[in-house]
Amino acid sequence: MLFSLLHPILTLATTGDVTKAGRAIALGVGAGGGAAGAGAGIGFLFGSVIESVTRQPEMRDEITSIQWLGFALTEATFFYGLVGGFIAFFL
Amino acid sequence: MSRLETMSTGKKISYSVLAIWLFGIIFFAIIYGVTAHKAPDVASGTFSPTNEFKLDTWFSLGPVAFNKGVLYLLITVTLTIGIMVYAADHLHERPGRLQVVVEWFYSLTRGLATDNMSRKLEKKYFPFIATLFVFILVTNLIGYIPLPVNTTDKFTLFGAHLPSFQLYAVDTNVAFPLILALSVFVLFNYEGIKYHGLGGYFKSLIPAGIGKGLLPLIALIEVLSIFLRLISLTVRLWANLLAGHLLIAFMGGELGVLVGQTVVSWALLPLGVAIFLFEAVLIAGLQAFIFAILTAIYLGGAVSSH
Repeated sequence: MLFSLLHPILTLATTGDVTKAGRAIALGVGAGGGAAGAGAGIGFLFGSVIESVTRQPEMRDEITSIQWLGFALTEATFFYGLVGGFIAFFL
Repeated sequence: MSRLETMSTGKKISYSVLAIWLFGIIFFAIIYGVTAHKAPDVASGTFSPTNEFKLDTWFSLGPVAFNKGVLYLLITVTLTIGIMVYAADHLHERPGRLQVVVEWFYSLTRGLATDNMSRKLEKKYFPFIATLFVFILVTNLIGYIPLPVNTTDKFTLFGAHLPSFQLYAVDTNVAFPLILALSVFVLFNYEGIKYHGLGGYFKSLIPAGIGKGLLPLIALIEVLSIFLRLISLTVRLWANLLAGHLLIAFMGGELGVLVGQTVVSWALLPLGVAIFLFEAVLIAGLQAFIFAILTAIYLGGAVSSH
């Protein structure tokens, strides 16, 4: 599996197209790193929502509205990473 | 045989859909094979995934080039103003469904505005926040309705060359979220400068109790974070919708077209349907809500000190 990941990069490198390989890596790292951070943040957020609703079920609606706000803000950081990757890819 | 009789209708339908999907994978794998090759249209450059977002000018009215995005924008404006004015003119004591929805929009945005802004500011800016919310919500939602606007690949129906149906949302063009974010940016800075004065606005950005050495660094970071609000508002709305539409397009069969295998198109189809539902039900409304609540927070925060 590692070979299938490295194979396109190696082919491009041996045919002299190192720039293209670099761009591919940049886009992949941008998207992958962004996804890791967003996944960790969203998972932590929903975990803390579950915990706090368990402690105080009467606060459920208030906490739910804050939960959606936090979810959208955390998910946005994934797109910052992705846009950074696109900038690295195309510029 | 008795297990088939006692199964509920829902289970029967789910099992048959699963069976059709698996059978289709085997069928397409046998008929079309599993070797990957670039489809001839993609290799020759006639088709590319970004064609969905390309804006061809249909005709020009003076400096305005009328295209797909402008058409969608006009549809959104007409729908928003039409629905809201109609609901406001036809208010009943016992509300019909449309009035219930509009009243829910009102109470939601009113709650946002009152929670995050002072009374004076809330009276001034609540209509802006409510309009932002409904406008972005309608823009996002009509992006999930297929309309005949694809003038790149036309199809013939009874001899007429009609544009093909496609899904397109105006937010996928960076100009639309950028203009909205710019207007919010100008407004909250204007309110901050009006309240604190020009020098006072910059002073209000810096929290109290910072040592003399760190002051320039903190000041720079705070000014940058003001501009970062503009960029983050734009990119959040734009990239969410763009990524959603690209995922729907890719999972809905385009990935199979790009690699030239029909079996990939068929196998990813349930994922495409799931992402379409996820986007239309959750992300469309959520992004509109987030834009509105962040506007309220920025406006409210500009007239208070750190």
